[in-house]
Amino acid sequence: MRVLVAEDEPDLARTLGKALIEEGFAVDVARTGHDVLTKAGSVPYDTIVLDIMMPGIDGLSVLSTLRKNGDPVPVLILTARDGLDDKIRGLNLGADDYMTKPFALAEVLARVRALIRRASPEPMPELSVGPIVIDTGARTVRRESAIVDLTAREYAILELLVRRKGTVVTRSAIYEHVYDEHEDTLSNVIDVFVASLRRKVGPDVIRTRRGHGYLVDD
Amino acid sequence: MSSELAEDMGIWSMIDSLRLRLLAWFAGLVMLVVAIVGATVCWMTWRSRVATIDAELYARAGSVASAVRPVVGGGFDVELTSEATAYFQSPTRRPYYAVWSAAGSLVDRSDPDIVHARVPAEAARTRGNSREVVVRSRGLTVLIGRDISDVWNELWSLSIIMMSVAVAGVAAALAGGWFLAGRALAPVQRINEAARRMAEGDLTARIEVERTETELGQVAKALNVAFDRQQQSMDRQRRFSADASHQLRTPVATMIAEVDWALRRERDGAQYRESLETCRRASARMQSLVDGLLLLARADSGELAIRRDTIRVDRIVGEAVDMLRPLAQARDVSCSVAASAVSAVGDADRLHELVTNLLVNGIAYNRTGGAVAVDVARDGGWAVVRVRDTGIGIAPEELPRIFDRFSRGESAREREPAGAGLGLAVAHSIAAAHGGSVACASELGASTEFVVRLPAAAAPVPADSSRVSASLSVPQSLA
Repeated sequence: MRVLVAEDEPDLARTLGKALIEEGFAVDVARTGHDVLTKAGSVPYDTIVLDIMMPGIDGLSVLSTLRKNGDPVPVLILTARDGLDDKIRGLNLGADDYMTKPFALAEVLARVRALIRRASPEPMPELSVGPIVIDTGARTVRRESAIVDLTAREYAILELLVRRKGTVVTRSAIYEHVYDEHEDTLSNVIDVFVASLRRKVGPDVIRTRRGHGYLVDD
Repeated sequence: MSSELAEDMGIWSMIDSLRLRLLAWFAGLVMLVVAIVGATVCWMTWRSRVATIDAELYARAGSVASAVRPVVGGGFDVELTSEATAYFQSPTRRPYYAVWSAAGSLVDRSDPDIVHARVPAEAARTRGNSREVVVRSRGLTVLIGRDISDVWNELWSLSIIMMSVAVAGVAAALAGGWFLAGRALAPVQRINEAARRMAEGDLTARIEVERTETELGQVAKALNVAFDRQQQSMDRQRRFSADASHQLRTPVATMIAEVDWALRRERDGAQYRESLETCRRASARMQSLVDGLLLLARADSGELAIRRDTIRVDRIVGEAVDMLRPLAQARDVSCSVAASAVSAVGDADRLHELVTNLLVNGIAYNRTGGAVAVDVARDGGWAVVRVRDTGIGIAPEELPRIFDRFSRGESAREREPAGAGLGLAVAHSIAAAHGGSVACASELGASTEFVVRLPAAAAPVPADSSRVSASLSVPQSLA
């Protein structure tokens, strides 16, 4: 799951970024409105955490531009503006959620997860496929009630595949969802992670569509 | 709410009574005019009728006198012409006469009811329903009179007609006056309405002004200007509060989020250190923000304490530049000072802050390899400090607002997101509190020059007396 943090205060952006990374998200940071539009135009983010007061194009203009371009990306506005008018305007412009600063970090993380969950075709906090059950809130994976110990990245890949259950997910799509813009690794690293996942959750869960990508199916 | 309602009714009843009062005055005036006109018309009519009757009576008196002839052996003989006899028999005029001899004895009378103890004096008078004249002619005294009920009746009808016209006229005038007063007072109601909406907090309320040259139009225009000012001031205040809360919330949010992150699980020493450093930066930013806001608030209320020492401006500038050299080096910006010994009257700590703010701006919004040149000189009665940088410059449309609180150019926000936009406002307030000024000239993308003018002191002073307190330091948010 890849998240864009649009925040012009560098310290706050860094804190949000490292917290999201610990949750298994791939995180990009944008400091200006223009930056947000450029990045959102090239990467299919799973969520954008958007500040309103940004230099250049402000957050609300960014949001309306995104929606005008038909981008359905879930947007969580995270701003110091706490006026009722601001909240209503933000939500009417197409924001999916609105939080004011200061905030509890855990709440932001929970809301980001909720946004991603609602946007996925399987909007339940618990996902299951075959013998595998994923609790996306606790970020735990069980196979026949035994906990499977996964790294953050393995978990992210498994969750992505399960959320898109029944469709083939290409290697580049997986790559875009689990790596941020600063990471530059070989694309076969995905195959390495999938191999390791198969060892942990069992060989019958993830199927390979040769030349296309991977598929999870009941 | 109920007291507001009562107040409303008070305003309404006041307007109504104003309308009524106008109307009462108007009605009074109309009635007075009608009464004067009516009285004049009646008086003129009376005079004209009486003059005609008197002429008739005098003529008749002559003919009566000439009809009296003395009889030989005493006594008089009265022999009226047939025309005169006919006259005295007129049933409508009912004339009467009496004639006295020069000796004072009654010669003749038309009616035994005419009784006079003495011979009457010459006169023309009205007695009840009669008009009579007394003339002396050929030694005789002739009294002659007639009934004037017809004149009285005529005057009475005239009065009734006049009064009817007057009543109709006053009624019409009242109706017209009520309408006109309402029309004239309509702007007052509009003003009242707008003022009420304004008082209720609708700052966009304005009075519709139809004709600006009327007195009420002028009032409305003046009120609209006042309303505009009020709205602008409220807008400024609201923007200031919004900016201040945004600027304070951002570091608070950073600290809480960072602490939340650090407490989520066990961290290693380096991670805790990083978190504490983040919190340090955020709290330093809050401190400088609070200090700036406090200084501005004090300056606004005239409570900014400014010492009036004689100080060496060149020394203060030199110390500020030395203090900021590490920051300048970190940003690859060179600093140069060209200073001659100049003294001013002022507060060394505050002036240090002023100069530091300008220098920090010059360094922060500069290009890599750029320069900040500071120049201190005396110009007439002023100590002048010039801070010139080779930075990003300020757009001409942003130039008039740069000393406003929280006003930051787009490029400045992109360059230094940590800046709050108070530095120049603080510099401006400090200069103003010293009786000086700060001015700015800039070329976008090339350079910016700030010129500070402070009242110069008469004589230079030794270097020591202008040392600033040790507690002053480089702003943490930029260091």
